[in-house]
Amino acid sequence: MSSLVTALEKAGLREYPILEGKIKTVVAALDTFKAFLFECKAVGFSLCADLMGVDYLEYTEFMPERFAVIYNLLNAKNGERILVKVYVPDAIKIPTVTDIWRTAEYHEREVYDLLGIEFSDHPDMRKILTPEDLDGHPLRKDFPLGETPTLFREGRFLDPSAFRAGLSGKDTGLSGWRGGSRIDSSLIPKLPTAIPVSKEK
Amino acid sequence: MSTLKDLFEKDVQELENEGIVFATLEKLVAWGRSNSMWPMTFGLACCAIEMMASTDARNDLARFGSEVFRASPRQSDVLIVAGRLSKKMAPVMRRVYDQMPDPKWVISMGACASSGGMFNNYAIVQNVDSVVPVDIFVPGCPPRPEGLIYAVMQLQKKVRGEAMDDFGTPLPMVEAWTR
Amino acid sequence: MAKVKEKPVMPKLETRAEVIIPQERSELTGGSGLLHTEIMRLNVGPQHPSTHGVLRVVVDMEGEYVKRVEPHIGYLHTGFEKTMENRTYAQNFTFAPRMDYLHGFGYELAYALPVEQLVGAEVPDRAREIRVLLVELNRISSHLVFLGTGLLDLGALTPFFYTFVEREAILDIFEAIGGQRLHQGYFRVGGVAKDTPDGFEGMVKKFLDTFDAKVDEYEKLFKTNPIFLERTQNTGIMSEAVALDLGITGPNLRASGVALDHRKTTPYSGYEQYDFDVPLGTHGDSFDRFVVRVQEMRESAKICRQALSRLKPGAIQDPNRKISLPPREELETSMEAVIHHFKLVTEGYHPPKGEAYVPTESARGELGCYIVSDGGSMPYRIHFRAPSFVNLQALPVIGIGGLFADLITVIASLDPVMGDVDR
Repeated sequence: MSSLVTALEKAGLREYPILEGKIKTVVAALDTFKAFLFECKAVGFSLCADLMGVDYLEYTEFMPERFAVIYNLLNAKNGERILVKVYVPDAIKIPTVTDIWRTAEYHEREVYDLLGIEFSDHPDMRKILTPEDLDGHPLRKDFPLGETPTLFREGRFLDPSAFRAGLSGKDTGLSGWRGGSRIDSSLIPKLPTAIPVSKEK
Repeated sequence: MSTLKDLFEKDVQELENEGIVFATLEKLVAWGRSNSMWPMTFGLACCAIEMMASTDARNDLARFGSEVFRASPRQSDVLIVAGRLSKKMAPVMRRVYDQMPDPKWVISMGACASSGGMFNNYAIVQNVDSVVPVDIFVPGCPPRPEGLIYAVMQLQKKVRGEAMDDFGTPLPMVEAWTR
Repeated sequence: MAKVKEKPVMPKLETRAEVIIPQERSELTGGSGLLHTEIMRLNVGPQHPSTHGVLRVVVDMEGEYVKRVEPHIGYLHTGFEKTMENRTYAQNFTFAPRMDYLHGFGYELAYALPVEQLVGAEVPDRAREIRVLLVELNRISSHLVFLGTGLLDLGALTPFFYTFVEREAILDIFEAIGGQRLHQGYFRVGGVAKDTPDGFEGMVKKFLDTFDAKVDEYEKLFKTNPIFLERTQNTGIMSEAVALDLGITGPNLRASGVALDHRKTTPYSGYEQYDFDVPLGTHGDSFDRFVVRVQEMRESAKICRQALSRLKPGAIQDPNRKISLPPREELETSMEAVIHHFKLVTEGYHPPKGEAYVPTESARGELGCYIVSDGGSMPYRIHFRAPSFVNLQALPVIGIGGLFADLITVIASLDPVMGDVDR
């Protein structure tokens, strides 16, 4: 832990809360986190193991901003690890860290592709996983899972999301079965013809 | 040694006793074709590993004439779609299928290729049949190599004109080749 | 490691493409006397026999020499993370092994550990040892596929048939334990699904007794082969600094001489009780990456033997009924067991709010699962640190400068699994 404290002192960021858990987590502010990451590399966190984003839109607790980007740093010599968490508001570009660790290039492209968080000064800010013509960012919470309903005869179908709704406590019903014999056929909703995409931007 | 004239004078039963086989040209071609079904290496995911395992020393797909996996679609007869087909990959697969020379067949290997399997989401094509016409569906996640070998044997039956439609009536041979 | 070949002297890239044309044919060149060749752009994949699945690489070549490599990935993007956020914690055990289909147990373990941390489950000793045994057996089978297909890419067809014989023996063990050859879904939060079948230890012992001799045989097959040495030595050299900068982990990093193995540095699942070495390379070339993996197979076999000797009868699941299913016979006598069974099957457990990450060592590198829980029965956010995805970044860096055939060697030696890359 001493090297981390050195890094915090060097970056002049002593006031950041360090959450004690299995892995140390440091919450950094958007404007100064890059300086802190730079200091982290200087004190031995030579490997940026991972970089991921979280969309807190539907989180059950109040979060400072909608998104969070988490940097997972590893000291390759002794296996020490810290997580640096940065809260990011919607539609804000955050500075890239590809100039500190080259490995961040793919990670940042992935975060951009799946969550729509843009990184400024990134050498190659393009989609990486999803097809070119896919509109939206799949891992955002307002992007639908895009399930195809299971079809049965006489227009009956099983809606997987309704089936699962009971499990998450969002709906009281456990079963999404909508049979023609139970309810009036005119009440059966029409099947979606295409997979709906999110209407952001 | 009998001359050609003698051959014409004998009846069919006699000739068959002498080891001469009669068949239509169509059937002969189908027989040859069914025993050298060259698959295309279209390994996508987990099923590709089992597809590889089906050619190994234990399972040995070569017994059924299908061990020559061709990397070029122009040299292959059957496209084995082994694994989940993403929406990004679907146009590529259609293109590969279009490049294969006729007659051609498609085996959809595994639950993901046949029905989307457990991946009912935005990224996966829910049935390969919506991209290319499929002849044989192989269930399993992934199917065992024996399952794939059985599928190849079923396809051989179809090529030889021993296939039936949904109502149990035999399909004409050439109709099984073209679509 | 003995090196037999010195680094070859390659012609300089700038001048090689210029060919001096005789004066009488100067109309070909517009009078300059020099013939300039153009950069050729070659598309490899996504359907190509030596790209290990659906990797697509766009290569700029000058003659036969590679100048620029650009991997295009995502042709197997399956939406695992989104789908797993819409399934309960127990259901997700079926998804985990299908990401990296060669090292499925490693993914099951990587998923089980953070969930156990969140719900606070205790794993009994026997379950831990079964897990370690299976993960290491799976690591051997994964490296066997690497060796077989890697040499297949280099044009050697025979090793594929040899290595798959051993792999089938391992898959038989898996089939006995989980009922399926590749994806078992055998691990549970707080243990494993059920106890090992009769004769399981004998099967593993029988396999391990003959395995070391087999590895020696395979090693002899390729290590003394002049064609293999010529193609792999001094190609695709990755220095320690470059590897760390690119975030490479696992055998690829250890081939560059960095002793980073999470089983040693941050032990999980009881790995600190096992005695094994971490094989290291010296040069960081394709040859070292092959050799490190083969030596790792021996170390994994060593761990398997220790795990087998430590395997004592005992519980295989956390007795906490809020996490693990009650035994079948209890359902007939206890109402409480029926209620627990119903709640667990329909809803599952609700881990408290929090975040967890446990790094593990998969056959390809650091594998960790980052789970954000909002207190519901499904993970709020689940993210896999996929080792192949990161390791593939080395391709544009170390694949250039050599011949095109060397690029194929480099792809084979990096051992990417596309299901792991694209998720």
